[in-house]
Amino acid sequence: MSSPAPVFWQKNPALAWREIDDETVIISPNDSVMHELNDTGSFLWKNIDGNKSAAELAELLVQNYEVAPDVALSDTQSLLEEMSSRKLVLCVPATSGVAP
Amino acid sequence: MNEPLANSGRGHRQQFELSIGCLPFRLQMSDAQLFGAASARYAAFSDAVAHPITIALNEGTDPGVTLADFGYELEGAVLRAFSSGIRFDGVRNQYALDSLLRVLLSWQLLSRRGFLLHAATIVRNGKAYIFTGRSGAGKSTVASLSPEGSVLTDEISLLRREDGVWRAYGTPFWGDFRAAGSNTSAPVAGIFRLLQAAENRVEALRPTAILRVLLPNVLFFSTEAEANRRLLEILCEAATEMPGYNLAFRKNAAFWEVLPA
Repeated sequence: MSSPAPVFWQKNPALAWREIDDETVIISPNDSVMHELNDTGSFLWKNIDGNKSAAELAELLVQNYEVAPDVALSDTQSLLEEMSSRKLVLCVPATSGVAP
Repeated sequence: MNEPLANSGRGHRQQFELSIGCLPFRLQMSDAQLFGAASARYAAFSDAVAHPITIALNEGTDPGVTLADFGYELEGAVLRAFSSGIRFDGVRNQYALDSLLRVLLSWQLLSRRGFLLHAATIVRNGKAYIFTGRSGAGKSTVASLSPEGSVLTDEISLLRREDGVWRAYGTPFWGDFRAAGSNTSAPVAGIFRLLQAAENRVEALRPTAILRVLLPNVLFFSTEAEANRRLLEILCEAATEMPGYNLAFRKNAAFWEVLPA
């Protein structure tokens, strides 16, 4: 069984977001819904740039917070899935290191 | 300043100038009935103003212009904003004119660090107290419990940051209390989220909570991402710089006693 193709995560470009009071607030203009991210959620959000996979984001979490690697990966994947279901993030095919 | 214009072919165009939140407009229209209603409706806000933004009503499409900087349609009434001026088409009554004016204001305020908020504003001791909340929360009740002349608006407040200070302006858009609105402004004392309760009590809010209070009550009509980013930037500034409170409100005038001075 082949493993799934690697993906990078990027913010949905249609959104508006700001940091306020140590949280990140995200607005979805089409439905005017407000989403809030806590401290670690904000950290991940800042690092979601279209060039990192879930594993790379989790690695950053491990480097900056006292969290075990397996927990970091699990939490990161859960958050990404949650944000994806709310259309806050999109996954794009990972291209780095792949020959054209 | 009301004066007739040259005949446009659709009858005499008339115009008057008004200023809302220091934003100057010149309304031009041929419909005498609508002109009468609008000039009476906005009488308290009519003013001869410098460099007004001209709004042409029901003049039809100008073949010379095709792409608007901003557009909005509401029940057949259409707003289109061009660099050369603003056009309102399909405006059949005062209600439609009011609606498009609110949409236009919300868009124009973006570049002036301001926004419109569903809120009553009362001036007390020279400071503006902003009372916001959903329909039925008590905005009109607060206005009705306040001294005559102190109500800037009982429905839609205009807030702008000017020289580092947030000021609230009256608007001609009224609610149940039908306060005609006052064309004056005052520095903001605080934003109060109205909550019906058995006793009057205030609770200070953190900036995120203030933002949570503001967002559902802001009038904004653009779904364009950049405009929403600008709006969010302004609202975060407002939530950080203006004090905000939950106000448990018994719907009597004693609530003033618990408000911070």
